[in-house]
Amino acid sequence: MIRTDVQTQPALAVRDLTKRFGTVVAVDALSFALQAGSITGFLGPNGAGKTTTLRLLLGLARPTSGEALVFGRPYRELPNPTRRVGALLESGDFDPGRTGRNHLRALALACGIDFGRVDELLELVELDRAADRPAGGYSLGMRQRLGLAAALLGEPELLVLDEPANGLDAAGMHWLRGFLRQFAATGGTVLVSSHLLAEVAQSVDHALIIDRGRLAATVAMDELSDGSSLEELYLELTGKDES
Amino acid sequence: MIAQLRSELFKQRTTRTARVLLASMVGVTVLVVCLHVFTLKAADLSQAANQPKVFGWATTIGALFAALAGAIGITAEFRHGTIRPTLLANPGRTRVVVAKAAAAAIAGLVIGLLAAGLVAAIGSSGLALRGIPITLDAGDFAQMIAGGAAGAALWAILGTGLGTILRGQVGAVIGLCVWLLLIENILIGNVPSAGKYAPGASDGALAGLMPNAGTATLLAPILGAVLLVAYAAVTGGTGLVAFERRDID
Repeated sequence: MIRTDVQTQPALAVRDLTKRFGTVVAVDALSFALQAGSITGFLGPNGAGKTTTLRLLLGLARPTSGEALVFGRPYRELPNPTRRVGALLESGDFDPGRTGRNHLRALALACGIDFGRVDELLELVELDRAADRPAGGYSLGMRQRLGLAAALLGEPELLVLDEPANGLDAAGMHWLRGFLRQFAATGGTVLVSSHLLAEVAQSVDHALIIDRGRLAATVAMDELSDGSSLEELYLELTGKDES
Repeated sequence: MIAQLRSELFKQRTTRTARVLLASMVGVTVLVVCLHVFTLKAADLSQAANQPKVFGWATTIGALFAALAGAIGITAEFRHGTIRPTLLANPGRTRVVVAKAAAAAIAGLVIGLLAAGLVAAIGSSGLALRGIPITLDAGDFAQMIAGGAAGAALWAILGTGLGTILRGQVGAVIGLCVWLLLIENILIGNVPSAGKYAPGASDGALAGLMPNAGTATLLAPILGAVLLVAYAAVTGGTGLVAFERRDID
């Protein structure tokens, strides 16, 4: 008998996810799921709970209730998770005294990936010439590309990117958009948080709009006429006037 | 586990922190031992009871720098946020902390050996230069170096545990300096009956001497070793539990 649930299992699923910090509810009974092969934008104003949701998905924080699953399991229970999930967090996490190449090598050693892959990625994100300089001297765009290289280390099927467009110039944006398109075209799944609506409208298949920890809307981009209507919808859904 | 340990050892080698720590340790050792060997009165230094004022620094300096290496190894990850990619690559938090403690213990062993070797060499040369007979025999020196190295390795684990609990680099560094350089001396000097059970004095017992013990009698080496292992295990274990439970910002 052929099991079909392997194909239909979402790459990423969040069910009734709630996270409280004291009396503050950062994520409030959030539910959504992503199917493989698509790019989904994760939109919302600052403080809406985007980064907290991503931290819960990646096992860095524990939900107060509900669950956050990648490939049907909590991230912390995935064997060799970098082989399946690549993540770029907004904070740009590296030691300023360590070179870009050694930053990637330390991570490669931890997950049993050879150094040849590190060199390959440095070339892909066009950091090969800066790779042996301390990462503390990198520009914002270079830091983002270093973070992206780290996310791609294990050739993952799912990419979780928190504000990846921050600090990228026009050429970098163009490159990132093309890269994500190709990644999704080959069956990869992408969840990308952003506050740059125009950018998101151009790059994603679906948009999840969250506000105050709750899912305000799920939008299929091909049902919208253009980017401006996403903006209207976003502003309408996340408007603060009723508070 | 082995992969994570290799990663942690690689991290130690790829920032300036380790080199700065090692160079500072050598500088401090030379300065402190020279100050004691050349400023104390010859009549006093000739007495066996006073020679730990020179040679005892092997334990204090070894313990301090090893503990700092352990604490900085983990707090640097919180400070620079690299704890996030570290945990994404290996979400097994226990494995990460145990690998960090093991890497720190290896560094601590090297630091302890170097500190004890330097203290023995500089102290002996200084005393010989002043024509003061050395009252320590070969067995004492062997215990000082082996015990100093083992004690430093345990202090590195203790430092990793403390750093994991506190997370803040400044707090961990100040805490270790204050404890080892001030509190331990006050305890062994004023209340030796209780002070001899403190972690620094346990390290002193393991190595056979500490700098400011005065007339206090240290514990038997084996008891010192057992106590220091217990201190390292409790601090490391508390760090592990805290790290498993807490969210990463």
